[in-house]
Order: sequence, then structure tokens, then C-alpha cells
Amino acid sequence: MAVSKCSRLSGALVKQLLESVDSVLFDCDGVIWRGDQAIPGAPEVINSLKKSGKKVFFVTNNSTKTRKMYADKLGKLGFDASEEEVFGTAYCSAMYLKTVCRLQGKVYLIGSHAMRQELEAMGIQQVGVGPDPVSGGQSDWANVPLDPDVKAVLVGFDEHFSYMKLNRALQYLCDPECQFVGTNTDTRLPLEGGKAVPGTGCLLKAVETAAQRQAQVVGKPSNFMFECVANQFGLDPSKCLMVGDRLDTDIMLGSNCGLKTLLTLTGVSTVADAEAHQRSGCPHRQKMVPDYYVDSIAEILPALQG
Amino acid sequence: MAGGGGGGGGGGCRRVRGPELRELLDSKRDVLFDCDGVIWNGEAAVAGAPEAVRLLKQRGKRVFFVTNNCTRPRGNYAHKFSRLGFADVSEEDIFSSAYCSAAYLRDVARLSGKVFAIGGHGVLQELRDAGVDVVAEDGAEGPDTSIYDCPLDPDVRAVLVGYDEKFNFMKLAKACCYLRDSECLFVATDPDPWHPLRGGRVTPGSGSLTAALETASSRKATVIGKPSRFMYECIASQFDLDPAQSLMVGDRLETDILFGANCGLSTVLTLTGVSTMEQAQEYKDSESPEKKDFVPDYVVESIADFSEALEDE
Repeated sequence: MAVSKCSRLSGALVKQLLESVDSVLFDCDGVIWRGDQAIPGAPEVINSLKKSGKKVFFVTNNSTKTRKMYADKLGKLGFDASEEEVFGTAYCSAMYLKTVCRLQGKVYLIGSHAMRQELEAMGIQQVGVGPDPVSGGQSDWANVPLDPDVKAVLVGFDEHFSYMKLNRALQYLCDPECQFVGTNTDTRLPLEGGKAVPGTGCLLKAVETAAQRQAQVVGKPSNFMFECVANQFGLDPSKCLMVGDRLDTDIMLGSNCGLKTLLTLTGVSTVADAEAHQRSGCPHRQKMVPDYYVDSIAEILPALQG
Repeated sequence: MAGGGGGGGGGGCRRVRGPELRELLDSKRDVLFDCDGVIWNGEAAVAGAPEAVRLLKQRGKRVFFVTNNCTRPRGNYAHKFSRLGFADVSEEDIFSSAYCSAAYLRDVARLSGKVFAIGGHGVLQELRDAGVDVVAEDGAEGPDTSIYDCPLDPDVRAVLVGYDEKFNFMKLAKACCYLRDSECLFVATDPDPWHPLRGGRVTPGSGSLTAALETASSRKATVIGKPSRFMYECIASQFDLDPAQSLMVGDRLETDILFGANCGLSTVLTLTGVSTMEQAQEYKDSESPEKKDFVPDYVVESIADFSEALEDE
């Protein structure tokens, strides 16, 4: 870990850093792609890292795609990547329910078909995915039939989010034994074409407020995302580099797990943001200060090719 | 200790009935009642409620109804009162968060422009009755609209969010777009996270929808309903109210009792609704000073105790 933090990564430092790690974990949105466009130079960086013997992983809070869908997108954009290297929250939530919650039973799902697929691949049955408009009156909603096999509520990004879904989740969560899991707390979801819509964090907040309960959150900055990768691939945290564009998720995760951290400026956070955290003196905020930063990950290419 | 004396928090949580309760009621000129869990539960009046209201009015008290429930326009509530056996309760005595939100937008915010409203019939009707220009989103996706690309009305100057059983992602996304303009007002009818229904069940409240929108927009809403003071100020702007002579009667510590404390009113908790004596006691025993405002001055089993106290004479 660097003694002085938040330094620009350049010159000899690049090679030094790369030589000190075996694995590099990349966030996706704002780091290797923006919407459906690869960040210029990003595919070359990932591919060169692999050629030089580094392990590469993709760690994203976005719950709208399965590992396979991500692998397909990566392939289309010129990245040499396989399903096994992708850790999205659709996959990780299913993992979490299985291994941490030890779920026996079904899940009431507010989320995408991708999430449904990952759950089913893990042998977990879900109910609730898809449109669910309200019908009847208030007394009908309170008496909505509950599936007795549902033992957990999982909330991810859902464009079909509705009052009725919120209501059903609330009914299940009235049972304190029912587990409550959320994929992530990001307030915005970046889309293809550069737009953004309200993110999972908003939907999760609605359910948490109605149920007056806190969800267990799977996505960054929760350690689970790293543990998922580390357990499957036997990673040593001190030999890992986390590359991200968000201080409050990517860099925080890196700090919490003892990884080296690199902020890239092609996404959400700025150097000013990082320096503000650094000056604050607050221990929590210090975790959001990256070891290094670059304008774009393309900047590490020369060190890889040289 | 019943009788006069100002309210305003730090209550004694004292059970009262009979002569002591009568003394308390005699010392006040105006009585403000919450509705759900106090006056009625669903479609049934709380036993003794019509009688209690009648007796209070007979003794020259003014009776107001202050409810966070924004699902119906005032006229509907007036009909409900009538249906449930209350004589002589008129629209003008009823203050719902929908009515007060409309009044706020028109009179306090002096809104020029439209309101993008997320809400049901109550919210939309009250806005229209107040002469406020409404854009209501029906939330349906069409050939020109999807959550990824929704046309915005350039005249919208405020977003109002209230209980809406047709709430969906589209409404959330659209409201969020409007709120990107920092000049656009952000108002919520009430903060209730859930509402009780018959048989111990619950349903999500306006507060949960507001939370989604606050998270999406990174902005805080101006909340009209209890425990905020706005509803009291709305009543006071129409009737001459003196906090020292007003009594707030409610069933929910976090809304009604806190509302009373915020407005300097004496408060009575009735046990026919959401909150329990144990919960009131917990707040009372708490170390933190802010929790004191959640403690009612007085506690009654039910509003029927009012009739009993007043009839006894």
C-alpha cells in the first residue's frame, strides 16, 4: 500500500504497481466502457494484462445482465473475457442467497430476467419477476396471496417496479424470519447511449422504508463482491488491484478488502472529490481515497507494451 | 395533572378518564383529531366516536380533523363521516394532507406553472379544486414514451408525491427528470412509511414513495403532513387558533404526537390505532432529548372515554 495516497500514476510507478499485483479487478461502467462504447484503449489494456500473465476480473453493481450477457458484451467490444471472470450483482446475489443466507425456499424477486436466470442457475426458484400492476382495492392488496415457500425478498433493478411489487415485498417482509437482500444501493443506473435512470438504490429505499427494515446489500462497497472472486480464484488481497471510477463503491471496496486501488477519471468521481476525502481527517472518508489515479486506463498501456 | 398548561412536548404519558379528562377538555377550545385509528378503522367508526364529537360540539368546542391520508378529496371524507353516523361534520372541518399540499402550493409557494403529481384521486382532485395546474402521469408506456425517453412538460415547476397505487418506474423516472432543475419545487404529502389495514396487515405509504424519489434526485422533499407544522398552519390560516387552547388527539406517536409537540399543542394518545402504551413508555424512558417529543401528555383507551367523561355531568 502506498504511503502517500492519491498520487497520479505515471512513469516508472506504472510498471512498479503492475509488477506488485497478480490480479486486476475492473469496474465496468465508466472504467472500461460507457454505455455501449468501449473506453478507447480499454480492450488493449485488458488483453495486454492477460497476455502478461495477470488475472483479470470484472466487478459490477449492475444487476441487469447475467455473466453470459456480460461476456457477450465484452466480446463484442473487443475484450478477451470469459463468463467466469465476470462478477455482476445478478450472479453475486444468487451466490449470496445460497452461501450466506443458506436459503431453503423461494425468493420474492423485484428484479430483471437476468436475475431470475442467475437464481435458477443456482437452483433457487423465484416468484414475482415481470409486470405486476395493481388491481382491486386496498383490502385486496393487504390480502394478496403469499407463497408460503418464499423465505427471502431480493431487490435489484426493475423497470417494472410498481406499487403492487412494493406491497408484495412489504407483506413478505412483515415476517422477521424472511431474509431481505438488495443487489446494490447505486442511485443511478447508466444506460446505453449515455443516459441514466433512477437506480436500484431508489427501489431498495422504497422497500426499506415501507418495511422499516434494512436490507443486506450484496454489491460494492460490500466485501462480498471481492470475496466471491477471491474464494473462487484463491486471490491474495495484497496482490490485487481494484480499478474503478467511483470512490464510494469501487475504491471503498478496495480499501475495505486490503487491495491496491486505482481511480480512473473516465466516470463519476474526480480528483477533487478524492482530495476532499483525504483532507477530511474522517476515517470513513479516508477509505475513499485511492492509492493512485489516471485520466483513463489507457494510460497504463505503454507500461504493458514496453 | 390535567387542566390548562401548554403542551409542546415532554409529556407525562398520563392515563386520564372521567372528571380529570373532562377538566382537560373543558380547558381547551379546539380539538384536533386524527382519523384513521382514532375516529374510525377502515369503514367502521370507533365505538363512541360520533357521540364524542357531538358532545364536544355541544359544549362549544370547535372540532377539526387532521389526517395524513391523501387518498380521497375532502368531500369524500365528509360523506364518510355522514355514512358512519357523525352528524354535522362539514368539509371545512377536514384537513387532509392532499388538501393542505394543494393549499401550500397555491398560497405558500405561490406556484406559477404546473405540478407534476404522483398521487391518486385525492391528490389530483384537491389540486384541481385549488386551481393548481396539474400534469398527472398515468405511467403507461406508449409509442413515444418509455422509461428511457420520456417527454417533459416545460411548464412544470413543482413535483408533488403522495400515495399512489399506480406508482411505477416511469413516474419515478419522470419526476426525477423534473427535479434536476433546482428551481423545481419538491413536495410530499406525508411521511408515513406504511399504513395499517384491517386484520393487522399493512400497506406501503407515501413515505416509501417519497424515499425512492429523494434517493433518485438526491434532494429532500418539503413534507406537508404530520409531524410537520404545515397542516396546523393551514388550519390556523382559516380559523383563529391558539396552541395553548388546542388539543391534538391521535394514535401514532411518530406523526400525531410529534405533530402536537411541534405545534405547541397538548397531546392525547388513543390506543385504538397504531401505537401502544409500551411504545409511548419506551420513548418516555429514553435517554435522548428528542425522543421526549414523541411522548403524549395524556393517554386514553379510546375516544369513547371522551363521551363517558362528558356525559357524566
